[in-house]
Amino acid sequence: MSDSMLLILLVALPFVGSLIAALLPTNARNAEAWLAGLIALAGLLITASFFPAVAEGGVLRFRAEWLPTFGLDFSLRLDGFAWLFSALVTGIGVLVVLYARYYMSPQDPVPRFFSFLLAFMGSMLGIVLSGNLIQLVFFWELTSLFSFLLIGYWHHRADARDGARMALTITATGGLALLAGVLVLGHIVGSYELDQVLASADLIRAHPLYLPILVLILLGAFTKSAQFPFHFWLPHAMAAPTPVSAYLHSATMVKAGVFLLARLWPVLAGSDAWFWLVGGAGLSTLLIGSYVAIFQHDLKGLLAYSTISHLGLITLLLGLNSPLAAVAAIFHILNHATFKASLFMAAGIIDHESGTRDIRRLSGLYRLMPITATLAMVAAAAMAGVPLLNGFLSKEMFFTEALTATAPLQSLEAILPYAATLYGMFSVAYSLRFIHGAFFGPPPVGLPRTPHEPPHWMRFPVELLVLACLVVGILPAITVGPFLDAAALGVLGAAKPAYNLAVWHGFNLPLLMSVIALIGGVLLYLILQNYLLSGVEGTPFVRRLAGKRLFERSLVVLSWRIARPLETLLGTRRLQPQLRLVVVVALLAGLAAVGGWQLAAGPPQFSGLDPALTLVWAVGIACAIGAAYQAKYHRLAALILMGGAGLVTCITFIWFSAPDLALTQLLVEIVTTVLILLGLRWLPKRIPEDEPMVQPVTLARRIGDFAIAMFAGGGVALLAYAVMTRPLPDTISRYFTERAYSEGGGTNVVNVILVDFRGFDTLGEITVLGVVALTVYALLRRFRPAPESIAIPEQQRVQNAYDDARPDRRLGDTVAEYLLVPAVLMRLLFPMMLVMALYLFLRGHNLPGGGFVAGLTMAVTFIVQYMANGTRWVESRLRLHPVRWIGLGLVFALLTGIGAWLLAHPFLTSHTRYLELPWLGSIPLASALFFDLGVFSLVVGATALILIALAHQSLRSVLVARPVSPPSKED
Amino acid sequence: MSGWLHHLIIVPVLLPLTVGAGMLLLEEPRRRLKASLSLFSTLVLISVAIALLQLAQGNGAEIGVYLLGDWPAPFGIVLVLDRLSALMLLLSSVLALASLLFSLARWHRAGPHFHPLFQFLLVGINGAFLTGDLFNLFVFFEVMLAASYGLVLHGSGTARVKAGLHYIAVNLAASLLFLIGVALIYGVTGTLNMADLANRLPAVATEDRALLQAGAAILGIAFLVKAGMWPLCFWLPTTYAAASAPAAAMFSIMSKVGIYVILRLWLLLFGADAGSVAGFGGSWLFYGGLLTVGFGTIGALASQDMSRLAGYNVLVSSGTLLAVLGVTDMAITAGALFYLLSSTLAISAFFLLIELAERGRRAGADILAVTLEAFGETEEEPLHEEEEAGIAIPATMAILGLSFVFCALLLAGLPPLSGFIGKFILLAAVLDSSGTATVSLDAWLLLAAVILSGLAAVIAMTRAGIRTFWAPLGRSVPRVRLIEITPIGLLLLLCVLLTVQAGPVMYYLQGTAEALHAPQRYIEGVLSAPRAGQTAQGGGA
Amino acid sequence: MELIVALGIGVLVASGVWLILRPRTYQVIIGLSLLSYAVNLLIFGMGRLRVNAAPVLEAGAAVDASQYTDPLPQALVLTAIVISFATTALFLVVLLASRGLTGTDHVDGREPGT
Repeated sequence: MSDSMLLILLVALPFVGSLIAALLPTNARNAEAWLAGLIALAGLLITASFFPAVAEGGVLRFRAEWLPTFGLDFSLRLDGFAWLFSALVTGIGVLVVLYARYYMSPQDPVPRFFSFLLAFMGSMLGIVLSGNLIQLVFFWELTSLFSFLLIGYWHHRADARDGARMALTITATGGLALLAGVLVLGHIVGSYELDQVLASADLIRAHPLYLPILVLILLGAFTKSAQFPFHFWLPHAMAAPTPVSAYLHSATMVKAGVFLLARLWPVLAGSDAWFWLVGGAGLSTLLIGSYVAIFQHDLKGLLAYSTISHLGLITLLLGLNSPLAAVAAIFHILNHATFKASLFMAAGIIDHESGTRDIRRLSGLYRLMPITATLAMVAAAAMAGVPLLNGFLSKEMFFTEALTATAPLQSLEAILPYAATLYGMFSVAYSLRFIHGAFFGPPPVGLPRTPHEPPHWMRFPVELLVLACLVVGILPAITVGPFLDAAALGVLGAAKPAYNLAVWHGFNLPLLMSVIALIGGVLLYLILQNYLLSGVEGTPFVRRLAGKRLFERSLVVLSWRIARPLETLLGTRRLQPQLRLVVVVALLAGLAAVGGWQLAAGPPQFSGLDPALTLVWAVGIACAIGAAYQAKYHRLAALILMGGAGLVTCITFIWFSAPDLALTQLLVEIVTTVLILLGLRWLPKRIPEDEPMVQPVTLARRIGDFAIAMFAGGGVALLAYAVMTRPLPDTISRYFTERAYSEGGGTNVVNVILVDFRGFDTLGEITVLGVVALTVYALLRRFRPAPESIAIPEQQRVQNAYDDARPDRRLGDTVAEYLLVPAVLMRLLFPMMLVMALYLFLRGHNLPGGGFVAGLTMAVTFIVQYMANGTRWVESRLRLHPVRWIGLGLVFALLTGIGAWLLAHPFLTSHTRYLELPWLGSIPLASALFFDLGVFSLVVGATALILIALAHQSLRSVLVARPVSPPSKED
Repeated sequence: MSGWLHHLIIVPVLLPLTVGAGMLLLEEPRRRLKASLSLFSTLVLISVAIALLQLAQGNGAEIGVYLLGDWPAPFGIVLVLDRLSALMLLLSSVLALASLLFSLARWHRAGPHFHPLFQFLLVGINGAFLTGDLFNLFVFFEVMLAASYGLVLHGSGTARVKAGLHYIAVNLAASLLFLIGVALIYGVTGTLNMADLANRLPAVATEDRALLQAGAAILGIAFLVKAGMWPLCFWLPTTYAAASAPAAAMFSIMSKVGIYVILRLWLLLFGADAGSVAGFGGSWLFYGGLLTVGFGTIGALASQDMSRLAGYNVLVSSGTLLAVLGVTDMAITAGALFYLLSSTLAISAFFLLIELAERGRRAGADILAVTLEAFGETEEEPLHEEEEAGIAIPATMAILGLSFVFCALLLAGLPPLSGFIGKFILLAAVLDSSGTATVSLDAWLLLAAVILSGLAAVIAMTRAGIRTFWAPLGRSVPRVRLIEITPIGLLLLLCVLLTVQAGPVMYYLQGTAEALHAPQRYIEGVLSAPRAGQTAQGGGA
Repeated sequence: MELIVALGIGVLVASGVWLILRPRTYQVIIGLSLLSYAVNLLIFGMGRLRVNAAPVLEAGAAVDASQYTDPLPQALVLTAIVISFATTALFLVVLLASRGLTGTDHVDGREPGT
C-alpha cells in the first residue's frame, strides 16, 4: 500500500473503530478490548513502518482538496517529530486498552468508553499528523471534546461532571484562542500549510502582529498542557477512570500543548517575548506543581500535580531559546510519558484492589502486592530522576541547560540552577511519599477490600513500561537514540545541535545538583512526614490558590452576577419599551438618513387652503386626539371618535377623486366597528376613579411618550408634505392608465390594477385575510372569557326577570321583542343587500366597486341578521360554511390564474370578452372577473367567519358550563 | 429555460397555496389526508427547489424572470430566480420537511388548521424569496407573518397568547414602517420594481435624495425588526420559546428572511456602483450586528432554560450575519451565506431537540442550572468510596444526547461540523479583507465577537447539556417516536454534508456572492425579460 | 391642501403612536387603527393630490394619462386597507384571548407591580 494511503489509514482507523465500538452490545468487554487493541496495534505497526522514511529528516506528505477557495486542504504531514508522537499515541494506546480491559468493571457500559477512547486516539493522531494549522486546530478541539466525554464517563458522580466541564471549558477556550492566533498567523504568512509557515520564520518574527499571535497561540498551548495559571483543571480531571488518566493526562492530550510549542519552535521561539512568556510559565508551573504534589493525599492527585510540574519542565526547556534545550524537552516528553503512564496504572491497580487511593489510609501494601510495588518503585525512581533510569538523563540535560542558559536578564541566569535543584528536591520528596506512603509502614487496616496482586495481564503494561524506563536509562544511545535524533531533526532541521546521550558525563555540576536534590528531597520528606501523617487537607502557603473554587465562582459571577443583570438592563420582556424602541429607532434612522440633506419642502402655500376641507380635517384632528384621550376609560367614545377619524379619511379620498378607496374604507370601517363592539363586552370595566395618584415616574414616562408621539407625527407630516409638494416623477402608473381599457378591459383603472396588473398582490392579500380568519377561529375555539364578564348583561337580566314574573311568557321573549322592529326590517333588507352586493361586484371592473367591496357588503348583510335576529334564529335558517367559502375563493382565484398556462401564458394573464346584459349594459367578461369572484367568495367567508366566531362568544353566558362549541359544526 | 419549465419558478408559491386552499375544503377530522397532502407538497417543493437550483447554476449569469399576468417589467409584478433565491428556497423547503415530519407525531393535532397554516407560511416565505417587487414583498411578508401568528398561537395556552400579543404588536408596527418606507420610495422614484429602482436611484435629484434615504432607512428598520437586531429583538427569544417546537423550527428561517432582504436590497440599491448613495448605512449594520451578537451572548449565558438559550442563539447568528454584511466584501458575503446555512439548520434542529429532551424532565427539576450553580452542587462528594460502575444511558437518551452534542458543536462553532467551517471561512475572509500587512480594528472586533460568542455557547450548552443528560435527577426516559428523531437527524446530517462537501458548496456560494456584488446583470435580466405575448412559446430568461 | 392633509396625517400618527405606547390592549388596538389610517393617507398622497380628476376612464376614448389621478397608490392603499383590517381583527381577538386567559387587559398580561 502507498505511503499516503497508510497515512490516511493511520488517522481514519481509530474513528472507524470508534463507530463500530459504539454499536457493540453493552457487556461486550472482550470484543471491545480486542477491537480497540488491534486498531491501536495496527496504528503502531503502520507508524513503525514509516520510520526509515523519516529517520534521516525525510517528510511524508498527503494532500486532498477540501476548501480550495480558502486555501484549506486536508493535508497530512509526517516527519521525525510527528513520528515520535504517533508512536507514543499508538504504543501507549495499546497498553492502556489492555489495562482498561481488566480495570473497567463488568457493570460499566464499555461501548461508550472504548468508542470515545478510540475517537480520542484518532483526534490525537490528527493533531500530530496535521499538515496545516486549521486542521490542527480542528483535531485539537476534538481532543478537548472527547476528553470531556471520557472524564465525564461516570457522569452520575458530581466530581466527574464538574471535572469534565472544567476541562472542556478551559481547553476549548484555549482552542478558540488558538484558532484566532492561527488565523492571524496564516493571514500574514498567506497560507495555513505548515511547510509554508515553517519556511517564513523571519517574516513572522519581524511582523508587527507577532506578539498578538504569540499570545493567542500560547493561550491554546498552556491551557492544553495545564501550565500555570491554567493548571487547575488537570487534578480535577482525575475523576476520570484511571486508564483515561494514564492515557490522556500523562502521555497524550496534555502533551498536545508542548507538541504545538515544539512544532512552532522554529518560527516563534528566539525572541525575548517567547523567553519571558514560555520560560516564565514553565518555571512557575514547574515549581508550583512539584511543591503542591508533595501535599496531595490522593495518589492520582499527587501524580496529576507531578505531571503538571513535568509539563512545566518541558515548557521551560522550550522557553530557553536554545536548540539543545529543545532536544532535552523532546527527550523528556518521551521519558515522562513512559514512567508517568506506568505510575498511573499502578495507582489504578492499588485503587482497584484496595478500594481507595487515599495515602492516609494506605500503607504496607508491599507485603500484599510485592511485584506491583517493585514496579511502582522503579517508575517512581525514574520520576525522581535516580541514575540508571530514563528520568535521570533528561533531568541531567535540564540541569545542564539551567546552568548554561542565556537569559535576557543576568539575575535570572543566576537563579535558574537553584530553582532547578529545588524542583529536583520536591520531585524526590513526592516520589518518596508515593512509594513510602502506599507500600511501607504497618499493614493496612479498614480498607474497603483486602488487596492482592492484580490479574497478570492487568500488570503487564506496567511491566513493559518500567522495562522501557530501565533500558533507556541504562543504554540510551542505542535504544532511544535514533528516534530522538529523527524527532530533533523534525523540529530543528539543520539547526539540530550535537548532543551526547551518555549515562556518565563524569563528575560535574549537574551531577552535584542531582545529588543535592536527592539528599535534600529525602530530608524534606522526613521533615514533613509528621505533618503529612496528620492528614491536613490542602497545601501550606498556597491554600488560597484553589483553582476549582475560583473557576466555579467566576462562572457563577459571569452568568449570575453579570449576564443576568445585563440581560435585564439591555433587554426587556415588556411590550411598551419594545414599541417605544421601535418608534424611536425608526425616528433616529429617518433623522440620520435625512441628515445632511435639507428636506427642501416647498414653503407652506396657504393659498391652496380649501375652507371645507380644512373644516373636515379640523373635525378629523379633533376625533383623533379625542380617541387618543378617551381610549382608556371610555372605550365606546373612543371607538366612535376613531370612526370619525376614519370617516374623515374617507371624505379625503372622495375629495381627491378616489371613490374606490372611500367605498372600501367605509365598509372596512363599518365591519371593524362591529367587530370591536362585539369584543368590547369581554374587556374589564374601568372607572376613572380607580386610578391611583399618578406617580412621578409614570408622569415622566407619559411626558416622554408624548414627546415621542409629537416627533413621530411631526416627522411623518414633514415627509408627507415634502413629497406631496414635489412634482410627480415619471411613474410606472402611466402605463396602467393607458392600457387599463385597451388591454385590461376595464375603465376603472384601480380595479384593473387590483385584479390584473397587480393581481398577484391581491392574491396574497386575500390569502392574508383567509389565514387571519383561520387563526381567529382557532383562537376563539379555545376562548375562555374572564369570569366576571360571563354574567348576562344588566338589561337582559331585567328583561328575563320580567319574563319569569309573568306565567304567560317564556324566558327570553322580551329580549326578542324589544329587537322585533329592527329584526323585521333586517329580514326585509336581506335580499336587497344581497342584490346590492351583486351589483357592486359586477360593476367593479368599470366603476367603483369590485369583489372586495361586494364581499364586505355580503358579510355585513349576514352579520346584521345575526345582530338583529340572534345567532340561533339565523343559524336555524341558513347555515354558512365560512371556511369553505375561504377555500373556494382561493381555489377559484388560483384556477383563474393557472388557466393562463393552457394558453402558454404566465400565471394570471387575463383575457377579455364583453357580454351585453339588460339593465346592466355591457359586462366585461374578463378572466379577471372570475379572479374577482374568488376574491369575493374569500372575503365573504373570512369576514363572516371572524364576525360569527366573535358573535358566538355571547352564547357562552348561556352555555358556559358546556365546553366551548365551535361556531359552525361542519368545521 | 422555456415552455412549461418556465412556470417552475412560480411553483414554490402556487403549490403550497393550492394545497393549503384545498385543505380548507376538507372536513376538519380528515387529518391523515391533510397530513399526507402537506407532506406531498413539501416533498415536491424540495425537488422543485433542487431543480431551480440547477437552473440558477446552469445558466450561470442568466437569471430567471417570471412576468405575472405577462405584463412587462417594471410595470407588472415579477418573480426573479437567481442563485441566492434558489438557495434560500431549498433551505426553507428542507426546514419545512423537517418541521412537518416532527409535527406529525403530535403537534398537528394541537389545534385546528395546522396544515393549511403551515402551507401558507411556506407561501409567504417562498414568495418573499422570489419576488422582485417591493410592494409585493410587503404582501408576502404579511402572508408569512399572518401564518406565523397562527402558528405561534397554535396550541393556545397563556404563555403562547401572551408572547403572541407582543409578537403581533411589534410586527404590526414594523409592517407600518414597511409601508411608510415603500410609500416614500415610490413617491420619490415612481417605481416599485427593485431592478427598476436600482436603475433610477443614481438619477434621483439631489434635493430628493434626503427623502429617498429616509424611506430606505425606515424600510430598513422594518427588516431589522424581523432579523432581530438589537435593540429591536426582545420579542424574539420569548416568542420562539413559547411557540410549539415545529413552529419555532420554521421561525429560525423567518428571521433569516429579514437578513435575506437586507442582503438583496442593500447590495442591489446601495452596492458599489450606486453612485453617491453607495454603502448607505453600512456601519449601522456592522455595529448594530456586533451589539446584537453581544446581547445574544449575554442572553445565552443568562438563560435558564434551553428554549430561551436557542432563541438567543438565533440572535447571535443574526447579529453575526448583519455585522459581516456591513463589511461589503465578496468573499465575506460568500462566507456569510455558508454561515447562514449552517446556523439555520443547527438552530432548527436544536428547537426540535429541546422539545424532546424536556419531555422526560421531572416537573420540579425544570432547569435552574444557573441558580443551582450559584447555590452549589447538591453535596460535595468525598473521595469516592462507592462502587465505580457507570450507568448505561438508555438508547433514546443516547441518541438525544448525541444530537445535543452535535447542536452544541454547531452553535459553538467547534469541529467537526459545519459550524467550525462557517466560522473559519467567515473569519478568514474578514482577515483577508484588511491587507496582509495588518489587521484592521473592525476585523479584530469581529474576530473577538465570533470567538467570544462561541465561548459563551460552549459554557451555556455544557451547562444545559449536563443538567439534562448527565445529572442523575430523577427523570423518566422520554417517549420519543422515530418520526420525531428523524428530522433532527436529517438536519444534522445536512450539516455533516456541509462540512464534507464544503468545497463544492463554497463554489456555488462564491458565484452567488459575485452575482450579488455585480447587480447590473440582475437589473438588465429583469428589465429585458420578454413577454410570452411576443415570443411564440412562453419565453422568459 | 397638501398642508392640511400632511397636518392630518401628522396628528393621526401622533395620536396613534401615543396610544400604542399605552399599557392597555384596547388603547393599543385603537392606536394601530389610527396609524393605519395615517399610513393609508400617506401612500395615497404619494400619488400627489388632485381635486376632481376623473376617477374612471370613459370607454373607447383615447387616454391621456395626465388627466387622471395616479391609480397605483390607490391600488396599494386598497391592499393595505384589507391587510390592516385583517391584522386589526386578529389583534382584537388575541387581546380578548389574553384578557380571558390572564384576567387583565394589560399588554404584558399582568398588572404592573404584581
